[in-house]
Amino acid sequence: MAHVLHGLLARAAARHPQRPAVWSQGGELTYTELDQISNKLARALLRMGVAPGDRVGILAPKSAAAAVAVYGALKAGACYVPLDPKAPATRISYVVQDADINVVIADEDRTSQVTDLADRGPSQLGRLTVTTCPAESPALSAESAQPLDGERAIETDLAYMLYTSGSTGTPKGVMISHRNSLTFVDWSAAAAGLRCEDRICSPAPLHFDLSVFDVFATCRAGACLTVIPDRTTTFPVSIAQWLEKEQVSIWYSVPSVLTLLACFGGLSTFDLSRLRTVIFAGEVFPPKYLARLMTELPGPRYLNWYGPTETNVCTAFEVVPGHADRGPVPIGTACANTEVFAVTSEGGLVTHPGDEGELHVRGPSLMRGYWKRPDQTREVLVPNPLMPDRDELVYRTGDLVTVDATGNYVYLGRRDAMVKIRGYRVELGEVEAALYRHPSIAEAAVLPIPDELLGSRLNAVVSLAGTPGLTREDVIDHCRRWLPSYMVPDVVEFRAALPRTSTGKVDRVALATERMRKLADTH
Amino acid sequence: MEAIINDYISRELVQDPALLPLSDDTSLLDSGILDSLSLLQLVVFLEERFQITVGDADLLPQNFASVQTICAYLRTREPAARATAHG
Repeated sequence: MAHVLHGLLARAAARHPQRPAVWSQGGELTYTELDQISNKLARALLRMGVAPGDRVGILAPKSAAAAVAVYGALKAGACYVPLDPKAPATRISYVVQDADINVVIADEDRTSQVTDLADRGPSQLGRLTVTTCPAESPALSAESAQPLDGERAIETDLAYMLYTSGSTGTPKGVMISHRNSLTFVDWSAAAAGLRCEDRICSPAPLHFDLSVFDVFATCRAGACLTVIPDRTTTFPVSIAQWLEKEQVSIWYSVPSVLTLLACFGGLSTFDLSRLRTVIFAGEVFPPKYLARLMTELPGPRYLNWYGPTETNVCTAFEVVPGHADRGPVPIGTACANTEVFAVTSEGGLVTHPGDEGELHVRGPSLMRGYWKRPDQTREVLVPNPLMPDRDELVYRTGDLVTVDATGNYVYLGRRDAMVKIRGYRVELGEVEAALYRHPSIAEAAVLPIPDELLGSRLNAVVSLAGTPGLTREDVIDHCRRWLPSYMVPDVVEFRAALPRTSTGKVDRVALATERMRKLADTH
Repeated sequence: MEAIINDYISRELVQDPALLPLSDDTSLLDSGILDSLSLLQLVVFLEERFQITVGDADLLPQNFASVQTICAYLRTREPAARATAHG
């Protein structure tokens, strides 16, 4: 049993030295190569002064170079923080400063982005470049490829931090230890039945927690992490073509990608007989599209995984043919070494169909907390409400669930102002905070518009300070400077003033009711 | 046709203001302007604006590489679109 994530790589390199570990355009590494080059990278980080527990940024799309960066950072005892290369510079810079990152590892295509980051501070940002073909990186050429002396991390140390949308206006770092992550990795490799012959693909970027599966569970199995190029994922037919050509056997993504594949992928024209397991997570899969996918592509097993970044996947459900024709698919039952239970508003346990309550999770996969946000951590990591005497903390998901007649949990919705867009979590408060940064915006509220494909779209309602003249385009351009594209509102409405509740807060209920009435009128 | 499509993409799909003004031969893929969802948004616009149906098999990188290639593709589609209701 590995106690740290990079222990998985040491084991894979010993058992499967010549098997491909990662395949991406321009870069392929065997397990021996990934192990040796990440040894070099770890040494380079130590030489730059990186100490155990330090946060190291990784600015690169998923690739051979990114895999080297991940394992190099872990071997150096550091906690890696994936930075979204597609996010606005202001947001990347915020994460670098919030996480106290002093060193950023980037691939060669992101040199100017890193220079820009350094200009925004901190003043002494260390930089390390890994080239597309990692073995040829000049920055690593002088380092030894031998294993490092001694281990720099234990299982309770942080392995990585993933930034996720924050309700108070800024993203927050979810702290994940080696043990937290391995709990999921061990379970998921077994649940998906991974073998060393597998070619595993997920289009989820490194800063999205779905990537933990293809980066680490793949390594645990000695299988091959297969990176799908960004431009391929744009075209559903190209995805299908690529799956056939690369003989992908395991696919893991948010449902919206699979919906596009089912509707526009021309699936019947490709030989996807190698694809044996399709896993989806991150949002609700509209049953009619899941049914269509399972009809178009009847070969693979279909697994629905559920879990917030804070717990990683904590429940799972295998969808049998015909199930999606009958309606929503359950999120299932708890994963190995994890327990889930739902608590009603009266404090009772959800045990029967019709009961409704908030899902709680206990087990070693729970995050260590939010980075430098003890108050927000205490709101979600709470004493076990059913057994307050037990000296343990459980995670409140904020997700409302019920249970079906077979004992599987069924997702109902959120208890707060968080929505999912293409599987990404979006706190409406963070979008509002970005709107308020504009000097001409006096009031702002953001409402979700349900969308079959995206999960939700965003409707911003704003009132202006002083002279009018701000256009929808101005507001959207402004948002694009502060927010990643999936958080930018689609619809902008201007009002003289926003409705207020008796306590002076923006009256979201009034706005939402109005919106529903308008939708009803147009349909 | 180029102007209409360029205008639509510039207005609705370009995320990064640094990419504007958009030239007709700018790669919509390498620049990250098109992803799986903005592609569908664009297809809906093209279908409504030019009264055509874009088949699944035509959703290919070579057809949507730039404003120019989109126009070239549409010009091959137009006669067929007029001949049949569903292309």
